Amino acid sequence: MTLCVRSVSKRFAARRVLNNIDLDLDGGQALCLCGANGAGKSTLLRVIAGLLRPDNGSLALDGYDVRKDCERYKRRLGVISHASMIYAELTVRENLAFAAALHGMRKPAARVEELLNDTALAAFRHDRAGILSRGLLQRLAIARALLHRPGLLLADEPFTGLDNEATALLVSLFRRFVDDGGAIVIVTHDVRLGLECCQRVAVLDAGRFRLDAMKTDIDCDRFAQDYLSYARNDSWNRSGSH
Amino acid sequence: MESFWVALKAIFVKDVIVELRARQVLPTMVVLGMLIVYILRLVSEPASGAAPLVGAAALWVAFLFCGLLAQERSFAAEQHQGCMDGLLLAPCDPGTIYLAKLCVNVVVLCVFEVIIVPVVLIVFRLSVGARWPDLLAVLLLGNIGISSVGTLFSAAVQLARTRGSLLSIIVLVILMPLMVPATFALLVLFGALPEEVGGSGSLAFVGSFKAAAGYMLAFDAVFVVACWLLFAVVVEE
Repeated sequence: MTLCVRSVSKRFAARRVLNNIDLDLDGGQALCLCGANGAGKSTLLRVIAGLLRPDNGSLALDGYDVRKDCERYKRRLGVISHASMIYAELTVRENLAFAAALHGMRKPAARVEELLNDTALAAFRHDRAGILSRGLLQRLAIARALLHRPGLLLADEPFTGLDNEATALLVSLFRRFVDDGGAIVIVTHDVRLGLECCQRVAVLDAGRFRLDAMKTDIDCDRFAQDYLSYARNDSWNRSGSH
Repeated sequence: MESFWVALKAIFVKDVIVELRARQVLPTMVVLGMLIVYILRLVSEPASGAAPLVGAAALWVAFLFCGLLAQERSFAAEQHQGCMDGLLLAPCDPGTIYLAKLCVNVVVLCVFEVIIVPVVLIVFRLSVGARWPDLLAVLLLGNIGISSVGTLFSAAVQLARTRGSLLSIIVLVILMPLMVPATFALLVLFGALPEEVGGSGSLAFVGSFKAAAGYMLAFDAVFVVACWLLFAVVVEE
């Protein structure tokens, strides 16, 4: 899996939200994307997901262009967003079966059961999603995103609403996904948790990358304390690591 | 091509299940439809000869407003919990989503028609004699026309986060070229007009029952294809 983002810019009216973004991400890599509110994190994720068209630039996943080979591009993509993308009137199992059908999966029953077990939702399989707690709903959203075995997983604040047990479960799921050759982009304000899941960190500030480095090349404690100052002070760069 | 049919079927079945469980759309449509029929029945009481005219009007007014109500809900439900994003992330053409939603809206309006048409025929004491197949064809053509435009504008309004009245106003204007032959056809079937009409005016422009059906068929074909193609543009961002 290879994600290649080149010179991507995006404006909303007069405001430039993304400014010439370049990003390469290979399979087996997890990137923690940090930034203040309004820095452009969610917009970048929506652009990568193909939900927003960039004003310029190109995006390709395994060489498939987001516009020209849209269907092949989307087959390789899983998304966990702020909203769960789950239907309240359908049961847990029906929601996953519907997502499987949308992705053209043949005989998805075994994969659905596997994910119900992985996300500890097996006991709720016949419950309507509308009665699930925020944490259980988030787990279902994660199962939905992983269902079709995507190569790239985009996760926008995936830890929101999860208790400690569910957070640990999600971290282990992310690790297993990366170990299996997948790539993840995690947007989170919980930097310590993000660092726990990822080998690489990037800081988006006013639509530009201020920092893009491997975790081993930065001072994680100082970064976790105040990542924005850390990125703006350029101390990561002066250490000669990037 | 197979993925097209699989996705179409999946969205269609999902929407039917959601409506059967939530029961949000159809009961509201029936209540509004009955109200429209009741009011127009009261209007027609003083002049008994006006029943076929008002009956035809009652049917189309009920189909139009209740259809728009259903179509507006069809994408409103997808906005909840970001489900529309879930559909757009699927590896299928956005037009597939439009066609699936169109099929659902046509079916919902058909169910509504099954309830409301006998009511109108009874309360206005109307009869179509042996022309049941013609009545069903006219209703289906009107249904498809209303649903094709309504489904597209429902998506546009919901995704633009502009609510309510804008959809109805735009759709009603666009549907006028369909409503003229549709009204003509029902008036012929209810015996209020002869098979062919000459002279001037909107109804005379339609000319005959066959021409009315032809106009409706052409409207449906043009707008289903146009709306299907435009849907990808509407949901682009």
